[in-house]
Amino acid sequence: MWVLSRLLGIVPTLLGVVIATFVLTHLLPGDPAVFFANSPTADAATIQAIREKLGLDQPLWRQYLIYMGDLLQGDLGKSITTGQPVARDLMQRLPASAELTLTAFLLAVAVALPLGIGAALRPRSLIDHACRLISTAGVSLPTFVTGLLLIYLFYYLAGVSPEPIGRLDPFAAPPPTVTGFFLIDTLLAGDPASFLSALSQLILPSVTMALFALAPLARMTRSAMLGALGSEFIRTARANGLRWHKIVFSYALRNAMLPIVTTFGMVFSYMLGANVLVERVFAWPGVGSYALDALIALDYGPVQGFMLVMAAIFVLVNLIVDIAYGVIDPRTGLTNA
Amino acid sequence: MDRREFGIGAAAVALAGLVPMHRATAQSRAESLRVLSEGSPNSFDPIGIGVNRSSIQVTWNTYDRLVRFGTKPREDGTLYYDYFTIEGELAERYEISDDKRSITFHLRKDATFHDGTPVTAEDVKWSLDRIVASPIGKAQFSTGSMTTPDQFEVLDAQTIRITTPKPDRFTLPNMATTYPIIINSKLAKSHATDADPWASEWLKTNIAGGGPFKLDSAVPGQSVTLSRNDGWKNGALPGFQRVLWQVVPNAQSRRTSLERGDADIVQDLPPQDAVSLAQEAKVKVVGVPMAGAFQFIGMNGNMAPFNNVKVRQAVAYALPYQQMFEAALFKRGRPLFGGKPGEADGMEFPQPLGYATDPAKAKALLAEAGFPTGFDTTFSFELSLATVAEPVSLLIQEALGQVGIRVTINKVPGGQLGTLLEKKEVPFFFEGSAAYLSDPDYFFRIFYNGATRWNFGSYANPEFQGLVEKTRFETDKPVYETEVKRMITLAKEEVPIILLWQPTLDTGMQKSVDGYKYLFHRMLELRTLKRV
Repeated sequence: MWVLSRLLGIVPTLLGVVIATFVLTHLLPGDPAVFFANSPTADAATIQAIREKLGLDQPLWRQYLIYMGDLLQGDLGKSITTGQPVARDLMQRLPASAELTLTAFLLAVAVALPLGIGAALRPRSLIDHACRLISTAGVSLPTFVTGLLLIYLFYYLAGVSPEPIGRLDPFAAPPPTVTGFFLIDTLLAGDPASFLSALSQLILPSVTMALFALAPLARMTRSAMLGALGSEFIRTARANGLRWHKIVFSYALRNAMLPIVTTFGMVFSYMLGANVLVERVFAWPGVGSYALDALIALDYGPVQGFMLVMAAIFVLVNLIVDIAYGVIDPRTGLTNA
Repeated sequence: MDRREFGIGAAAVALAGLVPMHRATAQSRAESLRVLSEGSPNSFDPIGIGVNRSSIQVTWNTYDRLVRFGTKPREDGTLYYDYFTIEGELAERYEISDDKRSITFHLRKDATFHDGTPVTAEDVKWSLDRIVASPIGKAQFSTGSMTTPDQFEVLDAQTIRITTPKPDRFTLPNMATTYPIIINSKLAKSHATDADPWASEWLKTNIAGGGPFKLDSAVPGQSVTLSRNDGWKNGALPGFQRVLWQVVPNAQSRRTSLERGDADIVQDLPPQDAVSLAQEAKVKVVGVPMAGAFQFIGMNGNMAPFNNVKVRQAVAYALPYQQMFEAALFKRGRPLFGGKPGEADGMEFPQPLGYATDPAKAKALLAEAGFPTGFDTTFSFELSLATVAEPVSLLIQEALGQVGIRVTINKVPGGQLGTLLEKKEVPFFFEGSAAYLSDPDYFFRIFYNGATRWNFGSYANPEFQGLVEKTRFETDKPVYETEVKRMITLAKEEVPIILLWQPTLDTGMQKSVDGYKYLFHRMLELRTLKRV
């Protein structure tokens, strides 16, 4: 019941996003008709003809109604920069972004959790300093610098990495699409060679992104754990002589989990939409660079579609985080509200 | 072997161990060309809305035109298109009538489209009719006096005639540009609808041509795969069997790939990369000044103080040309500064305008114009041109500051300068553009005349406008030359725009790649490329 009412609550949020994206994109100062009349022989009549063809001569409210009508039928419009329907573009590119983000996220969590816990358990120890160093470096190095550095070291100098372009060896055929995740699709197709190729293409970009995501995750884990470990029930547990791992994992970590999970959700949503730089450096065909290209080309459809999809994902991730709250800490009481 | 078979084959070999996979790729690599570029094609219909330059790379190589420009090697041996020689491509020959009003094209008899259908005059007519039916196509074709379908007349299955109301020098060269591709009309018509009689939707994503390459696959924003059309009859068979073109947005990544030998060709190298790659000499860098292309400083002739010719001249004398050429362009280009002042130096245009840096003269001119203490203005450039425009703007700000002109720099986000220029709201700016056809009067007609944004200086001198009109259909050569020379003189004296340079088109390639040809549209000609 609770989940259902939460799902219904998403509708007005998304509607607000639709209006906001529509207004924002149409507030952009560039005139698409002028931009698309890019041949030097185009005159005012050509521009007008293009404006009519794109429907941009209609009043804004009409354009909005047309857009809403199409949207209700699942039509996100057409991209002029790729010549494809926006929905199809996003469906093709979202799995690429998702695969990269998920891998990077899991990688970051796998390092950040132990690192943060370790740092909290032994403040001012070697591991605490390592935690601080890694998170400071992760935050202060822009992702494209990390990316280019990794490419230079592992591809250009050492030659152990494959060419950092795209999701697969350029001369290999992509696997038949089932999930859109190459790591899964290649295995489903029974093609271990392509799986290895996809995996090796994925390593450098996901490490680049993981380094960036590591900092907030590790810092948040550390401070939440410090807070939990310093609280009275832990002292009591210690005094009662409970075993070390019981204290750390069952009592401290579980209590520290709430802020950590919140940060996880935030970082994940942020990574999915904001990894444009990583996508650019590694020629990764994701949604971020797609939206950026469209924005530069004054192509409204893809920008609106991207913002809408991102908003939906953000809302969804928040929902999952909320559900996770209930599981971690029944006191939040959300499950039976 | 097609892509899929190859993929399975490579995978099967690779199962035995990872090393053989590299060997399998190596074999097919010799006959494949791997191209990396920043831009990605957005349509396969040259007269569609918002079609970008990268799209030409697909349509140019998968379609034929009736005629093509000839070839004239440069001093360094690089093949270069010859605007003034036009030879047959799909037409094996053509005749111009005695009254110079019509051109008759005779199609090659055994030419076929990719699906095997013979190319007929009906296909040609449909393709040309289609151009004048679209606003963008018509705007270009009217520069060659072609505006209505009845000008394209089928004489028999292999012969078609184009008639213009007056003799027009631009009709024939227009047929060799990127627009008049010859389309398989039966195939295209089978995809036409009532709302879309010219099959524009379908042609955006499909190729219905008979050119030297066939389209195997295209993933928007990622890659295009072409394979050779072995039945191509309209020229020597291309050297590569397959072309894999990938879009890599980051310049550094493209460069690394080229240096590691994974890419064969990297297009549009930034100037500083071209310089350092050429120095390291691991790969070839072919640099060709772009014909017809130019970068310039625009001044809005409708707006004070730039409506004063003395102010424009003062700015032209104040600019630090050599510094800009070195710091922004790394000398990868042909200067359009310096040269012979005040009069035409040959018939070619753009040519150097005759201005050299001379702050004293600039100050004197400003005083004469009534601005002894200078003035304030804003200099705009678009961020997509920032690599060159940013250093240019800083140097201009400094140099003009010395003669009293106080400049504020305005960086315009990508795609938006065009709109501002269309509204004629920008006083002072950096921009670039290019003309397809090389005749000087064609250049002046677009860039020094009219109400469009391409008249960057909003130039409106009645004498000049009269000359632009007179030269349009001028057939008497000496008269034409006198008129063009007068226009060049005016362009130099009144400087509606200050030409800076023609940038070099720098293309990086493996030493094994040969036969690179520069074309007016600046994309790759795959017909001539081969591996040696």
